[in-house]
Amino acid sequence: MKPMLSTDLNAPDTTVEKAKIEVKNLNFYYGQSKALKDINLSLPERSVTAFIGPSGCGKSTLLRVLNRIYELYPKQSAEGQVLLDGKNILDRSQDLNLLRTKIGMVFQKPTPFPMSIYENIAFGVRLYEKISKAEMDSRVEQALKRAALWNEVKDKLNASGLSLSGGQQQRLCIARTVAVKPEVILLDEPASALDPLSTAKIEELIDELQADYTIVIVTHNMQQAARVSRQTAFMYLGELVEFDRTEKIFTSPREKRTQDYITGRFG
Amino acid sequence: MSTSLALHNSRKRKNGVMMTLCVIAAGIGLAWLALILGALLYKGLSGLSLSVFTQMTPPPGDAGGLLNAIYGSIVMTIIGIVVGTPIGVLAGTYMAEYGRFSKLTTVVRFINDILLSAPSIIIGLFVYELLVRPMGHFSAIAGAVALSILVIPVVVRTTEDMLNLVPNALREAGAAIGAPRWVVIRSVAYRAALSGIVTGILLAIARISGETAPLLFTALNNQFWSSNLNAPMASLPVTIFQFALSPYEEWQQLAWTGALIITMTVLGLSVIARSLTGRREDR
Repeated sequence: MKPMLSTDLNAPDTTVEKAKIEVKNLNFYYGQSKALKDINLSLPERSVTAFIGPSGCGKSTLLRVLNRIYELYPKQSAEGQVLLDGKNILDRSQDLNLLRTKIGMVFQKPTPFPMSIYENIAFGVRLYEKISKAEMDSRVEQALKRAALWNEVKDKLNASGLSLSGGQQQRLCIARTVAVKPEVILLDEPASALDPLSTAKIEELIDELQADYTIVIVTHNMQQAARVSRQTAFMYLGELVEFDRTEKIFTSPREKRTQDYITGRFG
Repeated sequence: MSTSLALHNSRKRKNGVMMTLCVIAAGIGLAWLALILGALLYKGLSGLSLSVFTQMTPPPGDAGGLLNAIYGSIVMTIIGIVVGTPIGVLAGTYMAEYGRFSKLTTVVRFINDILLSAPSIIIGLFVYELLVRPMGHFSAIAGAVALSILVIPVVVRTTEDMLNLVPNALREAGAAIGAPRWVVIRSVAYRAALSGIVTGILLAIARISGETAPLLFTALNNQFWSSNLNAPMASLPVTIFQFALSPYEEWQQLAWTGALIITMTVLGLSVIARSLTGRREDR
């Protein structure tokens, strides 16, 4: 690995690291209308990548391709390749449930399941692992600690997940995702429904999680992208306009459209 | 300024008139309910005694109870619910979950709505042709089948509606954690919609426990104790129908008492159903 200082500023340093996910010539359709146009990008392992862009630019769509969650809806289809560790996950033979245990997702609105805090986490673990009660207890504890929620809920694990505050619910969802030991975590505007304090907690959490996970975050909050991510993709009207290290995107973008967006001239 | 004040005053007057009309209309609606309940309590309570629940329907001019009718109603309602509920819940699940975007769902929903508003006497005639004629006699089974046909559309409708209220984000969250479709439905969607689905079933019980027409052609009635499902069976609504039309005073009294029992049962079920949905909205 090259030392950081000698990195050529003109080339995205994302190419020197091992790519966890590679998107190749990806097109996406909602029925007849094309929502993603020939997307190519490569997401490095164990780091945070942000997708930014104005509403309707396709950033959430791109995220939803990465775990094929779009397949819950007919008439949505993807063309091209998405390689996870070199293996095309858009392939028909890919088992969707197994894929989603490797690529977890957290949504814009907190989505705790209608069950207890404990069960919210045990639910996902139980789907693929048969472990004892004691092991499960420690698994739940680890996940909640990982999501910086343990101290707040350790005395009420049997309370409904819905009884938590919005920020706590979102951290519960992150704990639930982490508990099944994924390799990639997709975050779809995870803090947009939260207050500033909860947002800060989530951002801290993202920062800690990148040591172990490849993280992709969609956000319409540019400061957030600048704060949490290592590389940023700017998308506009279904196209990937620019993809580079985050400080480059926010200080000296190559494209005029990127420049206009980050300076608030549109979007 | 004066014109705008005049406008304001005229709006206020119109508002007063409309509000009065609405209150009167609501009052009229409630008054009937109060009158019916009052009449039932007044006429029915006097006949309510332990013997109503321990003795059989009497021959004309004799004292007796409603035990065989109450038993018949309970048995046929239970069978109707046990047969109709799984079909209704599964059909509703198909429509709201697996077949959400399919044409079949639109067709089934349309037909189900027709079935929902079909006069129950038609259902009775249908089961008469389907079961009673081939079997050669009236039977409790035929009555229960008629009731289950009434249960299905109610349960289908509420199950579908309640599952549709479950936010899609929750299904996506379930899928995103790697849960197969059926696990998401069973452990997440059903749980989220549980109180609504149970409410639908309670409403179906309330509906069929008061049905007379479909039983007239199927279970008929029985003056005596019978627990044979293959024979005619008494039921509260049919007994009320028969006794209320009779010239005998004892029978008329029993009809009032029976009507009171049914109404209170249905009222109780509705209150439970209400409180279940109420709790759901509180969350």
